[in-house]
Amino acid sequence: MATATATRPTTGTSKQKKTKGQIIVDWVTTTDHKKIGYLYLLTSFTYFLIGGVMALVIRAQLTAPGLDIVQTKEQYNQLFTMHGTIMLLMFATPLFAAFANILMPVQIGAPDVAFPRLNAIAFWLYFFGSFIAVAGFFTPQGAASFGWTAYAPLSNTTFSPGIGGDLWVFGLALGGFGTIMGGVNFITTILTMRAPGMTMFRMPIFTWNTLVTSILVIMCFPPLAAALFALGADRRFDAHIFDPANGGPMLWQHLFWFFGHPEVYILALPFFGIISEILPVFSRKPIFGYKTLVYATIAIAALSMTVWAHHMYVTGSVLLPYFAFTTMLIAVPTGVKVFNWLGTMIKGSVSFETPMLWALGFLTTFIFGGLTGVILASPGLDFHVSDTYFVVAHFHYVIFGTVVFAMFAGIFFWYPKMTGMMLNERLGKIQFWLLFVGFHMTFLIQHWLGIIGMPRRYATYLPEDGFTWMNQISTVGSVLLAVSMIPFFWNVYITARKGVKTTLNDPWGYGRSLEWATASPFPRHNFTSIPRVRSESPAFDLNHPEFAAPEAKASAAKKG
Amino acid sequence: MKFNGNLFYFLAAFYLVDAAAYGIWFWNSKQQIEWIGVAALAMLSIMSVFLAFYLKKVHVGQGVVPEDREDGRIEEGAGELGFFSPWSWWPFFLGLFVSIVFASLAIGWWLMFIGFPLALVALIGFVFEHSRGQFAH
Repeated sequence: MATATATRPTTGTSKQKKTKGQIIVDWVTTTDHKKIGYLYLLTSFTYFLIGGVMALVIRAQLTAPGLDIVQTKEQYNQLFTMHGTIMLLMFATPLFAAFANILMPVQIGAPDVAFPRLNAIAFWLYFFGSFIAVAGFFTPQGAASFGWTAYAPLSNTTFSPGIGGDLWVFGLALGGFGTIMGGVNFITTILTMRAPGMTMFRMPIFTWNTLVTSILVIMCFPPLAAALFALGADRRFDAHIFDPANGGPMLWQHLFWFFGHPEVYILALPFFGIISEILPVFSRKPIFGYKTLVYATIAIAALSMTVWAHHMYVTGSVLLPYFAFTTMLIAVPTGVKVFNWLGTMIKGSVSFETPMLWALGFLTTFIFGGLTGVILASPGLDFHVSDTYFVVAHFHYVIFGTVVFAMFAGIFFWYPKMTGMMLNERLGKIQFWLLFVGFHMTFLIQHWLGIIGMPRRYATYLPEDGFTWMNQISTVGSVLLAVSMIPFFWNVYITARKGVKTTLNDPWGYGRSLEWATASPFPRHNFTSIPRVRSESPAFDLNHPEFAAPEAKASAAKKG
Repeated sequence: MKFNGNLFYFLAAFYLVDAAAYGIWFWNSKQQIEWIGVAALAMLSIMSVFLAFYLKKVHVGQGVVPEDREDGRIEEGAGELGFFSPWSWWPFFLGLFVSIVFASLAIGWWLMFIGFPLALVALIGFVFEHSRGQFAH
């Protein structure tokens, strides 16, 4: 496939060693979807670490009643606000863009995304927008402190004065535009740039989920932008859009959660896609029920726009039966997906390399979070535990389970594709078990903590509350969770220093989608040649012709 | 592909039915109109119709393309695929200067006087970077 990309004179294919300045210019001016993907990956992982440190301070503060780890309660409020904001909007959402950028064009056999410069501007809007939103920490009054949900009237200037909140509002609005641009770009790429023979129903599940997630992005980020600009107008220009006098709090909650709930699925679906790529490879079986998986994804996405007010049960002015019904309905396609994943593994010859281990860690954690989700969907039960640590435990199981476990699964799985080297398996396993135990130790206990009544977002508690020992277990777990990052960094470091370059296109041996049919690391425009696409696993058909899909065999026979 | 248009028509129908069902249900139980949710769902339906209509129209005009045929061969995609910018300074500068404009909304109007002209220059640069004039491509 010819493209009209000129070779860059100074860099390009020449083997001269580049100066530091040239390397920086190369990254800053890049329009290559893979490099932009790596920029997303590095930036969002950095925010993951920053948000993680904030979480550790929060856990330290809650270790015992009456501690003063943070000097004022206002600082504690800033910490949990920015922890939530960073983890959701600066780590998890851009991480979707990272994996989608790096992999989706390769998986459909395209040389780049449809709009390379739009892709670059989307990244820079995210990069600078996130910086503006967290820059509140450098101002005298500190960062935003009204919770990442920014409920009105708490988020107005009477209750939350200071420039930190203003920076938060406009920074997020800017980053949101970046996300929308990324979504438009992904949709266009998938609809128009597939290789011949790559029909919609032969696309890898990850690509499908990227498409569906991007559709969700263009549906739910514009309401967020509108809500943020309205909040900004309230805060800076004395508008009264979210004034309690005219029903502002409910308007804000509706708009925010109309974005906020689909956002959860924007975080979940791409990572479901990563898992759906990994399970077949390490089970040596095609994905079980490809089409049901695709339809389940579409059903989840369609339904996810209709469940927003289940976050607002306790306001007393939402339609409880309707939202309980739709919320429980969404468990059905999610359950279908879980069956597909289990069906893929059943009777496969499963092996437990690190990506598979992370994928299984995802399954356990996510299913647990999904079950507590059904509990929270029932208004009667939700009234008891709303705004307690039960909810905190629930969404950490769902989001940490999908995003972090699947992120490491994806990094270990595609690392040879990104860098040409395999990460160390033993260190990966050590990291997995540390993180798995640390995570469950931190968050499992919080379910009970919530049931006995510990409210979320409180800076401290009393000894008489009886929360102490549970909080201590949780804090110890969080330390373990933090420690689990050390083997990972050591792993990346020694792989960079001493790792052996892999010469194989498909180092795992059973790769299925097109990225395993090109060199590791990817060449500049992804392919020097593309194999014929006759099923949803063209690379597998190419490398294992004896087990190829029937259509692929028939087509090969016809060719003689 | 036919399916893409149908997907968005399905979404349009789904959200239309959903907006109606939600609105009626809310009215029945509270005797009020819930403007926010009904309007938002109805607008999702309208957006989906836009996309569905466009995709269908393109599909009719374009006919069956190689990437939608089960027996499409890679060489059918040969030829110039389009123009891909090899590198560009403008996204970085546009992002930087637009962020100054957004920050000025939070910080103060004085910053807007610095950010807006710069953003305008960057925007023009971004738009016309690869332009060779009208009809020259």
